[in-house]
Amino acid sequence: MINTKQLEKRWYRYKTKNFILFFAGFLLFLLLPYGGYYLLNYGNPMEEKNSLNTPVVQMDSTSIKEVKLEEKPIVETISVAKEHNLTPITPSEVILSPVIPIVDFTQEKSNDRANKRVVEKKSVSPKRKEKSRLVQAKPSTYLTPNELSVVNGTAPNRETKKIHFQSSSSNYMEIMKQKFHENKNPREAMLLANAYYKAGNYIHSEKWALKANSLDKDLEESWLLFAKSKKQQGSRNEAVKILETYYKKSKSTKAKMLIQKIHSEGLQ
Amino acid sequence: MKQSKFKDVKNIFIDTVDTESYVELDSMRYNCEVLEESLKKPLKMILLFGKPGTGKSMTLNRLWFNLKNSREIHYFDAPILSEKAFLRSIYESISSQQIPQNMRVNFDGLLKYCQKLRGEREIVFLLDECQLYSEALMEKIRLLSDTRVVKFVITLHKTENEDVIAKEHFKTRIWEIVELLNAGEEDLNVYIQKKLIRKGFVEVANMFSKKDIKFIHTHSKGNFRETNKFLYTFFSIYEYYDLHQPERISSHKFSKKILEMTAIKLGYIYD
Repeated sequence: MINTKQLEKRWYRYKTKNFILFFAGFLLFLLLPYGGYYLLNYGNPMEEKNSLNTPVVQMDSTSIKEVKLEEKPIVETISVAKEHNLTPITPSEVILSPVIPIVDFTQEKSNDRANKRVVEKKSVSPKRKEKSRLVQAKPSTYLTPNELSVVNGTAPNRETKKIHFQSSSSNYMEIMKQKFHENKNPREAMLLANAYYKAGNYIHSEKWALKANSLDKDLEESWLLFAKSKKQQGSRNEAVKILETYYKKSKSTKAKMLIQKIHSEGLQ
Repeated sequence: MKQSKFKDVKNIFIDTVDTESYVELDSMRYNCEVLEESLKKPLKMILLFGKPGTGKSMTLNRLWFNLKNSREIHYFDAPILSEKAFLRSIYESISSQQIPQNMRVNFDGLLKYCQKLRGEREIVFLLDECQLYSEALMEKIRLLSDTRVVKFVITLHKTENEDVIAKEHFKTRIWEIVELLNAGEEDLNVYIQKKLIRKGFVEVANMFSKKDIKFIHTHSKGNFRETNKFLYTFFSIYEYYDLHQPERISSHKFSKKILEMTAIKLGYIYD
């Protein structure tokens, strides 16, 4: 007589084992492509090592910029591209370089070249001042031979290094905001205002233009952009009033032209 | 007490060698015809070989059944291992005389007796399970066949050693070799169906699906003995369910679960 009860138990065991084997096989089948993908992409440690040595820093895609770096200066200032019409900077002023230029939101995808900016860093402070600062910052006994050569003015001209990097617009905004909060520099506030204006965010562009203006009342760009932002929000009369106020104060031709432009648009 | 129909069904698959349980399949009919034709030729010995359970004994039995009325044919279904008893059986079969127990058959005398019958008679002996015979006895069988009065159809298991016997010992004398193979899926289906229908279990025969037959064939490898064993166990389990838990079995088709349980029970698959 066959012990059917026991046989049934054995059958359940057999089915469970089969199910587990099937499931394991299925899981393996699913994981194989991922494993292969992982090995192909991350399996070569040499590749990773090499990538770390490259001087190219790649972030999100927008534009590629060239930044010339010199290791000599301790205190640096910037000469931003001329087309921005920035107010001249006195040698005593210290203004941080905008590492990332303005991103043209409307054109960034179609025309990367428009976003390219060359930022040159050069020493503008007097040599003597620079030297004294260096010595004050660090006793000469602790200076490295390279630093000493910089202090003595005997350092050889270094090669200009090119760093290519890309940044996304949101990333740029965040960096600029962070920089502004650190330095309270009206130029950075203006860069942000410009960026927001180009992106069509006129509320923010007005806000940042006002911030820049509160830090530097004579910053022409802040007046113009503030007025343009007002106009774009529909407050044309207010924009004209602002521009007239600024024109009375500065006799700026740009302000005058903008007033005329707004009036002519109103007539149309 | 309640009786299950599966009790009678399972008994159909008890492994026996008799003309009643013989199921005529195309392959078996062909083999029988080949053997019958071979016996008409002036051959001394015919070898029928194949793996255990391929139907050698059944074929031999069928051959005897087919020819018993038309030829002088004797079937030794069980091997006679004693030389004395074997010679006595041969002599008694040829002479149709009983030898007293206190007497024995002299082999030389038997040879001379057979030689005297040359041209008058042709006697066929069917010897099953010849792998059990000693080499000395096999040599005597060969000498007897040389008289051309006695013909032997012998069966051997096709194992490695027995294959050597078949080839080396008989290669100069065996003129006809018939090899039996395991049944194919279709043959096995016919075998099961015929067995069941012959006993009146048409409903049960119809419950087998192609998948069921495939499952049985996969595990029994088409071997008739293994198939009988499988079906006997299968219907024993069915009998249990029919008596104790009839709600768990269908009356239209067989359960795959019970097929798998049978395979587990017989060690074809492991839990």
